[in-house]
Amino acid sequence: MERIAVSAVRKSFNLKPGQTVTVDGVTSSRIAVLDGVDLTIDSGEFITLVGPSGSGKSVLLDVIAGLTEATSGVARIDGVEVTKPHARTAYVFQQYALFPWRTALQNVEYALEVRGVPAAERRERAKDFLHLFGLKGFEDRFPSQLSGGMQQRVAIARALSTDPQVLLMDEPFAALDAQTRDILQSELLRIWEQIKTTVVFVTHSIDEAIYLADRVVVMTARPASVKEIVTIDLPRPRDLDIRNSEAFNAYRGRVWESLRDEVGKAQRDWTLASTYAN
Amino acid sequence: MSLIVDRNLPLRNTFSLRRKRTPSKAPSAFSETVSTITLGLPALVAFALLWEIAPRAGWINALFFPPLSQVLAVLWEMIVSGQLADHIGISLQRAAIGFLLAVVTAVPLGFLMGRYSLFEKASDFLVQTLRNTSQFALLPVFILVLGIGEASKIAITFYAAVFFLLINTIVGVKSVDPLLVKAARSMGTSDWDLFKKVIFPSAIPSIVAGARLGVKTSLFSVIAAEMLAAQSGIGYLIQNSSLMLETDCMYAGILTLTIIGLLLNYLLVAGERRATHWRGSGESGPN
Ligand SMILES: Nc1ncnc2c1ncn2[C@@H]1O[C@H](COP(=O)(O)OP(=O)(O)OP(=O)(O)O)[C@@H](O)[C@H]1O
Ligand SMILES: [Mg+2]
Repeated sequence: MERIAVSAVRKSFNLKPGQTVTVDGVTSSRIAVLDGVDLTIDSGEFITLVGPSGSGKSVLLDVIAGLTEATSGVARIDGVEVTKPHARTAYVFQQYALFPWRTALQNVEYALEVRGVPAAERRERAKDFLHLFGLKGFEDRFPSQLSGGMQQRVAIARALSTDPQVLLMDEPFAALDAQTRDILQSELLRIWEQIKTTVVFVTHSIDEAIYLADRVVVMTARPASVKEIVTIDLPRPRDLDIRNSEAFNAYRGRVWESLRDEVGKAQRDWTLASTYAN
Repeated sequence: MSLIVDRNLPLRNTFSLRRKRTPSKAPSAFSETVSTITLGLPALVAFALLWEIAPRAGWINALFFPPLSQVLAVLWEMIVSGQLADHIGISLQRAAIGFLLAVVTAVPLGFLMGRYSLFEKASDFLVQTLRNTSQFALLPVFILVLGIGEASKIAITFYAAVFFLLINTIVGVKSVDPLLVKAARSMGTSDWDLFKKVIFPSAIPSIVAGARLGVKTSLFSVIAAEMLAAQSGIGYLIQNSSLMLETDCMYAGILTLTIIGLLLNYLLVAGERRATHWRGSGESGPN
């Protein structure tokens, strides 16, 4: 069953006054980021998005999340056009985005709180989700007292506590060390296999992309569109050792090949991009 | 506009809970206070001794500088007679009313100015102009318009505090992490909840810092106003005793003011620490 449908989504930004961008000799005060993205994602699917830095992956997630309006084209969830944040979509960010004045428990409760869940019930739920992520005993810690891996666990617990149908994750493990990253990948898969929510996961790590995904979506350099979709036909549940298998290696080669040209293009575009990246 | 900071703030004005809970070699807030006192005590004692001895020995004129013991005796008399409490009460009441009026004005206004750039553009010029007009210069205006009664004194304390609060509220509101706003929006936070649960809490440390400065200037302004035009209050007590050449009484008033200032500062710092207790030790306070 089709859950997310992105069709012909284009997005361009107006630059700040005085800034311009020159593409193919044409100078403009607008920057095109998404250039007709088409993508349909089934219910319960785990999709990973890879693409060069600055290609527009985060912007695409924002469009699906209802945080940014597409310049043209639409994103739909269950056939309904997304115009504002959907109650059953959750978003996890690279920088955790926890409220520093709230404890771990209160952070998880937040999502339930703004939905009007009664206090006692949301406390119970929040506790359950913290425990699910191995954070028993850390309920009363403030984010500044938790390690990066723990903070991201809290953020994921917060996202999942609302029982989302769509889980958007923007490089959630990129700021973590390699071991923590491995552990969190496995944890995420373990939990996802139980709840089977639809996940769109952005990453720069090809291994991570393949290990997690049902399908890896390779984006082109900016302005981005879908370059190629690689279906990952590896058995589940997956073990971290699968990364040493021959099949995995073959996928690694394929994704890298697809990505390589785009990264090259993005690099040639680099002076340009670095000037306009905020 | 920049965050207003204050030199009186102890260097480490925020403490993480972790530091309090796990025993470590780092000095605790308490032991730090104790060491400040024990180290600082000799200088204070020396000062008190000098104050006592100098007039007695005739080094300075005892009419202008009565010995400390005489000042303390007068102070004690005023405490016992209840006279001092009356003066303190009226001064604090004036300062408190003016300050609270400043809070209820400045915080909502600061939110609007910090959040809506059009609103800020429209009001910034006026605010900057008013802010740079001394409340003392305006006292005659307040007296002309509001009379010499309570209203003019409350007006000056209001005026003294309102800009600290306003500017720190604006700074606080503007410094909210855009990622937190984005995360909150993605969870379906309504505009009202965004104010209440995201922007307000992240602005609190800055607002509290502004409040701390505002309380102090409120108090000092009311003292000044009482010196110029009042029949009661600590400021009046000091000024009147000075006119009457009752210098022991005057110093008793000044000493009272100092003690109130010290206590208030202690309370405010403690309040600020409470309001920012969630901060890690790594990113402590704006100083
Ligand atoms: N609000 C904005 N205004 C102007 N340009 C923007 C805005 N948001 C994003 N961009 C531009 O859009 C392009 C794509 O940004 P985006 O953050 O989606 O890239 P990304 O693929 O997520 O990159 P990374 O992998 O580095 O996170 C960038 O060139 C960026 O400068
Ligand atoms: Mg990104």
